[in-house]
Amino acid sequence: MATAVVMPQLGNSVETSIISSWKKKKGDKIAAGEVLCDVETDKATIDVESPFSGVLLELFFKEGDEVPVMTNIAAIGEPGENAEDLRPTSAAPSEAAVEAVADVEPEAASSQQRATMGQLPVHHSGDGKIGISPRARHLALDKGLDVLGLMGTGPNGRIIERDIRAALSTMPKMTPLAKSMVTSGDFVVAPGVHPARITSRDLVVSASSPQAAASGVEAPPLSGEGEILQVIPLKGVRKLIATRMMNSLQTTAQLTMNASADARALLDYRKRLKGSSEALGLQGITINDLVLYAVSRTLLRFPDLNSLFVGESITQYRRVHLGFAVDTPRGLIVPVIRNASSLSLQALAQESKRLSIACQNGTVSPDDLNGATFSVTNLGSLGIETFTPVLNPPQVAILGVGNVNLKPVEESGEIVFIPHIGLSLTINHQVVDGAPGARFLQAFTRNLAELDLLLAL
Amino acid sequence: MTKTITIDPSEVRAQATLQGPEIPINAYAPSPIEEAKKYGTANLVRIYRDMLYIREFETMLDRIKKEGTYEGFEYNHKGPAHLSIGQEASAVGECYYLTPEDFIFGSHRSHGEIIAKGLSAIHQLNDNALTAIMESYMDGAALRVVSKHSKNSSSLDVKDLAIQYLLYGTLAEIFGREYGFNKGMGGSMHAFFPPFGIMPNNAIVGGSADIAVGSALYKRVNRKPGIVIANIGDASLGCGPVWEAMMFAAMDQYHTLWPSELGGAPPILFNFMNNFYGMGGQPKGETMGFDVLARIGLGVNPQAMHAERVDGYNPLAIADAIARKKDILLKGEGPVLLDTITYRFSGHSPSDASSYRDKSEVDLWREQDSLISYGDYLVQNGHANATDLEALQGSIVEQLVYVLKAAASLDISPRVSITSDAIGDMMFSNQPADRMAEGTPEVLIPIEESRLKTTHEKFRFGLDEQGQPRPKLRCVTFAEAIFEAMIHRFYEDPTMVAYGEENRDWGGAFGAYRGLTECLPYNRLFNSPISEAAIVGTAVGYALSGGRVVPELMYCDFMGRAGDEIFNQMAKWQSMSANVLKMPMVLRVSVGSKYGAQHSQDWSSVVAHIPGLQVMFPATPYDAKGMLNLALRGTDPVVFFESQRLYTEPETLVPGGVPVDYYEVELGEPVVRREGSDLTIISVGATLYRALDAAKELEQNYNLSVEVVDARFINPLNYEKIVASVKKTGKVVLTSDACERGSFLHTMASNISQLAFDYLDGPVAVVGARNWITPPAELEDAFFPQKEWIIDTIHERVLPLPNHQSSTIQTSDAILRRNRLGI
Repeated sequence: MATAVVMPQLGNSVETSIISSWKKKKGDKIAAGEVLCDVETDKATIDVESPFSGVLLELFFKEGDEVPVMTNIAAIGEPGENAEDLRPTSAAPSEAAVEAVADVEPEAASSQQRATMGQLPVHHSGDGKIGISPRARHLALDKGLDVLGLMGTGPNGRIIERDIRAALSTMPKMTPLAKSMVTSGDFVVAPGVHPARITSRDLVVSASSPQAAASGVEAPPLSGEGEILQVIPLKGVRKLIATRMMNSLQTTAQLTMNASADARALLDYRKRLKGSSEALGLQGITINDLVLYAVSRTLLRFPDLNSLFVGESITQYRRVHLGFAVDTPRGLIVPVIRNASSLSLQALAQESKRLSIACQNGTVSPDDLNGATFSVTNLGSLGIETFTPVLNPPQVAILGVGNVNLKPVEESGEIVFIPHIGLSLTINHQVVDGAPGARFLQAFTRNLAELDLLLAL
Repeated sequence: MTKTITIDPSEVRAQATLQGPEIPINAYAPSPIEEAKKYGTANLVRIYRDMLYIREFETMLDRIKKEGTYEGFEYNHKGPAHLSIGQEASAVGECYYLTPEDFIFGSHRSHGEIIAKGLSAIHQLNDNALTAIMESYMDGAALRVVSKHSKNSSSLDVKDLAIQYLLYGTLAEIFGREYGFNKGMGGSMHAFFPPFGIMPNNAIVGGSADIAVGSALYKRVNRKPGIVIANIGDASLGCGPVWEAMMFAAMDQYHTLWPSELGGAPPILFNFMNNFYGMGGQPKGETMGFDVLARIGLGVNPQAMHAERVDGYNPLAIADAIARKKDILLKGEGPVLLDTITYRFSGHSPSDASSYRDKSEVDLWREQDSLISYGDYLVQNGHANATDLEALQGSIVEQLVYVLKAAASLDISPRVSITSDAIGDMMFSNQPADRMAEGTPEVLIPIEESRLKTTHEKFRFGLDEQGQPRPKLRCVTFAEAIFEAMIHRFYEDPTMVAYGEENRDWGGAFGAYRGLTECLPYNRLFNSPISEAAIVGTAVGYALSGGRVVPELMYCDFMGRAGDEIFNQMAKWQSMSANVLKMPMVLRVSVGSKYGAQHSQDWSSVVAHIPGLQVMFPATPYDAKGMLNLALRGTDPVVFFESQRLYTEPETLVPGGVPVDYYEVELGEPVVRREGSDLTIISVGATLYRALDAAKELEQNYNLSVEVVDARFINPLNYEKIVASVKKTGKVVLTSDACERGSFLHTMASNISQLAFDYLDGPVAVVGARNWITPPAELEDAFFPQKEWIIDTIHERVLPLPNHQSSTIQTSDAILRRNRLGI
């Protein structure tokens, strides 16, 4: 059956891209992964690879055409197949037409609106900076609230006044002295402090305060020469992680539950992949890729875990956008595999590899770092059996993957040692109760044990 | 349109041949004997002297511009100097018979006319009058300079001192100095001096034509002595407003409908200084087809405007013509057209290389140079000898050197301060006056018997005690609020007149003047030709002459037809005169809708851009009356916008409704129409009601407390209330019916961003009309801002509303895309 190639969404802010050149022409054979065309966004030129192998049945646009993202641009299939039903309704719908319809026909407009509202909320603007209104910034400063890690509910995820007020409503009250110290701009509430009432003793010098630089208030007690290996200023990824992690623990109710799954199918399948023909391109698929794959399929049945908790509402998502932790020299980075639930195992593995490399090299696009609906973190290769993963709010769950250990299991009256993989699920108990979390974990262990069946999904 | 004039088909359909009067060409017959008797030697020599003053004054400027030196004194003049060397006889002859009460309006090339008219006035005014003028004009600033720095200053008599005063005041003005006649704000092309009847000179070709007609209208309506001359060039006949001015000046109604005791038509003389060049183009033979300019008169009225071609190279021929034409004008039989032939030896300006004319042509005219030929005439007829004339020239050069040194010195003649707001302070006169002159206003019935009887009895507020709408016909409407303000001032200020298309009988296309026709004689309220340029231009002339005037443009879209008159004339003469003139003028402009692309655009943003205009846009009947009252008592030019959506609407927002008694809205103050704490919507004009609807919906559906501010003024505008509101709410959307691109709303948005930046919780969003033509009435909701646009804009750009589904596209991406496409 003929299959469409769509114009990929090359970043959240990208609505349309221009096809700068076709690398194949109609009738050409094309292999999966071969470059089909170059497309140009306002920021860069990017190769679009064919997701399938086959014969290029149809190119729906000319070079130079501006094409809305997620629009079919080409069809691939068997020679002679008809691809006309894949042709976009209007090969290049003019914007004016779209707009005119929207302006005069609310029905049409709202359906279009629904389509865009289905997309993930983003809390970063395109350049990776946190958008915050002057008013919100002002208010946060006034109240001594650190805005890093806050989730914006304004347009494009901008942090606006109501977000600060919401965050403040969970903050304890301050004594008048503490308040005046905070409003001076030199002090903030010390991280991890949760008294019923904040006093001056709960404050620390703000990182942005000149005092911090001058006084060295937070120097460690042991300061004799030779004691200190090095002092590393908190910045960049490290600073972000510091804030995010603290914010995560301060603003959510985290509950971790541990389990282990029969890993035989997993290991067997991995062995088979490794031994498969090189031509299939499956040898590089890792245990972690298999875990990610299993998570992406399992989550489809557990939308309450595949969701974001923002402000006063929980938004559940139809598709799974899977974040996975990558250890890099600069610190922990969590890239996102978009639409993981609809990728083949191979495509998912390719994507995870691409993202891991980009993270390691520091070339990862900011757009690849946000919008996850669920995350996986894997410490198994470091010999960790179980641990307590820390949530990435506003996600409501994160799965930790441990190492594989032999576990005694009674089978047909005999104790046998079966390899098991450790699993640790942290949920935000604010919105996900223990039982649903456990049910997911239970389903997941079963799916992992029957991985071969899951591959049909 | 008037019921007293009947168009009889049997008359207008009858066969006949049109006859016109003959047009005299150079009819003057010189007679030295008669002239000696008529003028006397002293006056004949004075004519020569005056021509010489002009010639030397302009020669000096020519040298300064071209060589940077005159008589060994160096000066660099950066500004323009459009010289009339060669045209002296035309200017002096014209002014010989003019009295100080006669006004001349000129062009960019009017130094000669300034000096000629000034010298003529100095000759006629007695010493006391001259001293009083010089001492009072700008507190005697220029007088102090010439009393000290003129040649033989201590021994000059008053008239000679006045001559130095005239030369200095003009030159200091040309050099842009504070003691110039207009503090340097007019400069070479605009210098003028009203006490001598020298009225604004206009750098827009033909710009003086309609203004001079308005000034003549002022003289006629207010029974002032004197005539008014528009000195404009031959090439200005290519300008529409000049034709409009002639149509306006030649209206039949002055004779058929106006009170006969008023004296007929406005005393206006169109003096075309025909030097045969419009910059480099030649009206005769190249750029026009009239051949003889005086022919134009035949096309204007049965009297052919009493047109004549006059020899402008003979000062006595011109003087004679002016004397005869002045009689005609004072009898109310104008307008008059003179085709004064003359020639400039100098280029259009110092940068003119005269590439468009042959030197031999210049030489032909130089051979007939009026200074030489008229000098010879004086010598041959025994009025002077050659030595006297030479000595006269030497004396004038000496005087000019003193004048030049004084005007060029920054110590003696400083420029206006640019470190203070001195120029800004000139933009408006800000001197409210109940009446522009004392006297009893001419009216036909007592005000108590006017239509006020009816409007006073109506409900003054459009809602009943339960807050339900009352029948509109039983309430005072927006249009009637306009009427009440107009009639009040008509019965207060005897100088006030109003006119425009269908203003009388019909009461304006939207009936705002209904009931005024019964109250006012024709000379205070009349129908104009469909000549928007002349409607505004004559009003400018009327106002700067000292009368209050309310011209009307039936549709905002017609402002384009009066572009120069609004942008360059109405807006600028107060400041270009350094506040010597006032502009008590309210231009009522009706903003349309439902009438398609050329009758429905809100151009308030266009005038917002022009310095010197006050711009008002009331949105309720209370404001319509209170703001028009304010405008009508002011002395500044106001463009007063009225939305046609509102004329039939009663007051529903101001409790108590439209007061019966007189009141004014405070200048520049916006008004909070609805208080709120979460969000501010600011409207300009009739979008107020859509903003209020949006506020209501936002409160009902999204529990938002919305403040609505009606800016109602565009300039001046006090931002304090607006900023206070934005500081409170942090979120603001601006809306008006003007097209979004270049809308004044963006100026407001920018100012709000500067003034309340730290308080903003989102970008300042602008909701204007689409950057399209106004489509047919049935599609207007897709063009003008609607309640939904406001709400969707808030949702998309300022504050996402829970579960709101936009029905229109107001995203940031739409801003990008629309601008990229230019739509």
